[in-house]
Amino acid sequence: MKKTAFCFDLDGTVTKQEILPLISKKVGLHEEINLLTDITLKGLIPFETSFKLRVKLLSSIAISVVQEVVNEVVLDENITNFIKQNKENCFIVTGNLDVWVSELISSKLGCQSFSSTALHTEDKLDGIETILNKGKAIDKVKLNFDKIVTIGDSMNDCSMFEKANVRIAYGGIHNPVNTLIKLSDYVVYNSKSLVELLENIKNEN
Amino acid sequence: MKIKNAVICAAGFGSRLGLDMPKCLVPIGKHKLIYYLLGLLKDIENVRIVVGYKEEEVIEYVKSIRNDVIFVRNPQYASTSNSYSLYLGSKDIQDGFLTIDGDMIISPDNFTNFIEACNVGENRLGLTPSKTDDAVFVAVNDNDEAVEFSREKISNLEWSGIAYFANIKMSQVQNYVYEQLLDKLPIKTTTIDCFEIDTPNDLNLALNEIDFID
Repeated sequence: MKKTAFCFDLDGTVTKQEILPLISKKVGLHEEINLLTDITLKGLIPFETSFKLRVKLLSSIAISVVQEVVNEVVLDENITNFIKQNKENCFIVTGNLDVWVSELISSKLGCQSFSSTALHTEDKLDGIETILNKGKAIDKVKLNFDKIVTIGDSMNDCSMFEKANVRIAYGGIHNPVNTLIKLSDYVVYNSKSLVELLENIKNEN
Repeated sequence: MKIKNAVICAAGFGSRLGLDMPKCLVPIGKHKLIYYLLGLLKDIENVRIVVGYKEEEVIEYVKSIRNDVIFVRNPQYASTSNSYSLYLGSKDIQDGFLTIDGDMIISPDNFTNFIEACNVGENRLGLTPSKTDDAVFVAVNDNDEAVEFSREKISNLEWSGIAYFANIKMSQVQNYVYEQLLDKLPIKTTTIDCFEIDTPNDLNLALNEIDFID
């Protein structure tokens, strides 16, 4: 039987809220971060540039404080259940920072993940070490799986869609960007339908 | 029997109708055509719509009516057949599925009859008194089973584009859906009052004759 991997974007796909705007409320930078998030989702500035700026703005907050906020983020129940039931075949592929989201992923989802990495001195964030190229993460997943299914909503998901076999643009909290829709096989706006589709794809072979 | 899955094929260009919009978005009564199809399918859990031509407009409209539809993209809609769209829309579905074309106006009462006639493990075709410009005629035997398809007028019934496929899988071969059914005959049938909108003449006929749309 063919082995199928399901690779999910995190922010706005598995989470029902964008994570960085939530963190920014802590430091009174909500307006600035929201603007950056908004124009990034629209593809007006590259994810890398925007992410560097956003991290810079939020770097004054202790990592542990950010983790507390992140752990409160609401996850989509249907998608979370699917991931938990298919841990070995599911991956979170996120541009977000490891020190911020790895705890959330391991405690609430329990699957493997790829993320951007941070430089830090204990609880203090010093900067970004690497920004994840989602396409390269898919290359690594491909070493152990025959079929790759990707689920995402933003411009930075395009590189992972280009490497996948089945591509699902998912508009859980906002419309997927049009470029991603044009790369996709399915467009879905409801998590129950998404999971139904994932189950079908899982059993297809 | 409760039908769980439905696939609407709405990817096509509608070139014979000659309007600058997908056929499923043609205004009929107070709404657009596909609104009425979604109404017929309201009790079916999994609805998929294969989209192609002006997909953004179809997605936007459908989503405002029912947000749990799964949209299946057929970017090659201009160069592929309806059977290929149906293949894309149904290839991962394990159980049986209902299929209808996205350019149909169907009598709700007749549609309910069709659904009620469907049985587990049994394929069924919806036939309709022939009236479209481009009909696929269907000959039936004494048991109301389809035994032959033809572009020649071999009967007064045509294949409506409505079917329940309990165990028929579409292949990627580029042809008409009925051509993929030839080796599955005989197939049970139910007669349905419906209209397919392929040409301006079809649309006029439908608008003049239907009395089940508000």
